[in-house]
Amino acid sequence: MNRHLLVRGLFLALIYLLPFHAHAAQTLHLTARDDAIPHPPLVIHAALDLPQARPLLDAFQRRHPGVDITYRNLTTLALNERFLLHPGEADVMISSAMPWQFALANAGHARPLRAHIPDDWPTWAHWRRELVAFTFEPIVMVVHRELAQIGATPRNHADLLELLATHPEELAGRVATYDPASSGAGYAYAMEESRLSPRYWDLVAALGNVDAQLVETTSQMLDGLQDGRLLIGYNLLGSYATPVVEDDPDLTLIIPDDYALVTQRLAFVPRQAPNLASASLFMDFLLSPEGQRTLADATTLGALHPAMSGPGTATQLRERFGDALRPPDLGPGLLAGLDRLKRQALLARWQREFRRTLGNAEEPKKDE
Amino acid sequence: MTLTHSLYGRLLAWLALPLLTLGALLLLQAWLEARATADRAYDRLLDASSLAIAEQVQWQDGRLWLDLPPAALEMLAGDAQERVFYSLVDQQGRHITGNALLPAIADTHDTDDALLFYRDITWQELRLRLGIRRSHLEGWRSKERFEVRVAHTREGRDALRLELLRGNLAGILGMGALAIATLLMAVRGALKPLTRLRQAIRTRDPRTLAPLELELPRELAELREALNDLLARMRRVRANQERFIGDASHQLRTPLAGISARAELALRQTQPEQWHTALTAIHAAGERSARLAMQLLSLTRLDNPEQRPELTPLDLNDCVRQAVRAHWVTCHQAGVDLGADCPASPVLVAASDWQLQEALTNLIDNSRRYGARRITLGVLSHPPRLFIEDDGPGISAEQRLPVLRPFYRGRDDGEGSGLGLAIVDGIARKHGARLSLSEGEADRGLRVELIFPETAS
Repeated sequence: MNRHLLVRGLFLALIYLLPFHAHAAQTLHLTARDDAIPHPPLVIHAALDLPQARPLLDAFQRRHPGVDITYRNLTTLALNERFLLHPGEADVMISSAMPWQFALANAGHARPLRAHIPDDWPTWAHWRRELVAFTFEPIVMVVHRELAQIGATPRNHADLLELLATHPEELAGRVATYDPASSGAGYAYAMEESRLSPRYWDLVAALGNVDAQLVETTSQMLDGLQDGRLLIGYNLLGSYATPVVEDDPDLTLIIPDDYALVTQRLAFVPRQAPNLASASLFMDFLLSPEGQRTLADATTLGALHPAMSGPGTATQLRERFGDALRPPDLGPGLLAGLDRLKRQALLARWQREFRRTLGNAEEPKKDE
Repeated sequence: MTLTHSLYGRLLAWLALPLLTLGALLLLQAWLEARATADRAYDRLLDASSLAIAEQVQWQDGRLWLDLPPAALEMLAGDAQERVFYSLVDQQGRHITGNALLPAIADTHDTDDALLFYRDITWQELRLRLGIRRSHLEGWRSKERFEVRVAHTREGRDALRLELLRGNLAGILGMGALAIATLLMAVRGALKPLTRLRQAIRTRDPRTLAPLELELPRELAELREALNDLLARMRRVRANQERFIGDASHQLRTPLAGISARAELALRQTQPEQWHTALTAIHAAGERSARLAMQLLSLTRLDNPEQRPELTPLDLNDCVRQAVRAHWVTCHQAGVDLGADCPASPVLVAASDWQLQEALTNLIDNSRRYGARRITLGVLSHPPRLFIEDDGPGISAEQRLPVLRPFYRGRDDGEGSGLGLAIVDGIARKHGARLSLSEGEADRGLRVELIFPETAS
């Protein structure tokens, strides 16, 4: 199994390179109702926090009470490793680490879902009917109210760059963003943004200039913002930030209006899924109007179903931000992010730009 | 109606066979061509993608370095959303980077030029098309060689191939259907005159022997002519038969009229002596009539083409001796010298014994009636021959053919029936033998020869 070895090797290299928090898996078990028609059990391995997953699982079990559900929430990297070690363990794989999910599907680990994907499901939201995106989560900025004392609330990346450049002293140490070297999500965003705009590197330099804190999770940034230690959080996962911001009047959530990255949870049914019938039921539910309505109403994940509208849906976000929303192409371009050399090159550049002082910004620089 | 017994089937089979072979060849060609075309079209993706990757290969920090362009992979996937695999391999065959350890192509020879090879491979149970680009760095310091291997699944190719094939197939099948329809119509049309001919023959009055008047294509016109020839011969045969019947009734009427007249005359007499004389004459006339009737019967039998005599091998010598034995007494009483001239060894022919006897009887009878005093029967071999020679008046050369006709008489003396030679001729034809008339020894008399075909043995 060369292919597996390779992906695994790549993955192990990442683990050893990076400080990595191997959280013990959070496991949720929902027992089937005794009086219901018994179904095969369902094992879901996901990188999706329990508060977001729980409403979905409950709704599914209301619909199919006979299915006994085991839900394991892992980090994206642990999820990937566990799958490569035990490809016949899970019935459904859900993760927001799009490149890794794509690599698994590309290597033939995913079973074609065929008719289980509705006909009106957008073509950009599935790949070969094997891998399907079912959420729509913008990457956002969150600012603290205190920022108003320093400058205007940034509406987009240009505003942010200007704010950082003009108030380096006031903002020093009070800005946070993902560390692309230690966070898979942070790396993916850096990758996307560097492709989207050459000015991204100026922003990285500006972040370096204000001595931005580099963190690994959205919740770390949210903690700092709630505490008031941080004034600006850049590139937070919108779906996790939304409930916190809604509860905290000090915080404001900003979806940049020039461009906003979007992350999507990708789900697939492994080829060796032990309970195919239940997996199919779950996928049907997940992509059905009912399941998507649950996503829209009970979670902040953003329902993707094209027929859905109203709060918590991709349709509404698209109406508000239109072309600014940039979901990554669900295609082999994602694989480039997993390339060992590519990663090294990007991280090296990122570090370099981060350490560069703004005074040198105009200095011509040779990349490699 | 089996295929081989039907003209329609035979024509159809022989015309359809090359058509089907051609169709099969066309299909095969379409299949191969569709495959080649699809591969050509999609190999361009491998080409472009591997080039895009190769252009990004650099020498950095003392090793090969690749800044993988995502577009190269997207290009490789194409519209069909293929699975894509790539691998960068250095001069020593070490895997530098990539998402799959794609195999090398072993059998290609090493050259310095940038080259591209394609192969169909099965890798990890996936059917892939592998493209390998051999290239080297264009740097100042390093000319390090490397290989970019890219591969994708074949779904787009297969789909394109099917599409191409379907297009071709529709054309080929359409042409085939048209060709077969035309073929059926052509064969049917070509055989139509045959049906007309059959109908024309079937609807004819069975008694008419008039020639067929029918517009027919050349091949069938020949058949029509043959039929018309047959009909003409049948007309002649019938005319002969009618004349024969006329002659026969005439011949029979003459002696009967004589008998009737003689009897009438005798009834007016009163002397028993005169009655006796009349009865004797009537008896002789009656016997002649009976013999005439017998001869007519045998001639009719000989003329019947459906009656084939049973031919058995027999020795002509025996035949001659038997004839001499049978006729010697009567000839001797009439003062005729009947002799035989036979070779020592047997002369075998396939023949019917009683017919030969009949022929000899007729010939002896003939010679005797026409006044021969000496009759010699004989056998010759090589070819087997029966001959009879007499010293009678003979037959002049110009009469030798007509005398073979029934009722033709060389002389009208009321003795012969005019059927004897006709019967002999009929017997000769039944045996495949030739009847030859000539002068006898010293240009006198008549020599009749029955020349049999040489037997195989």
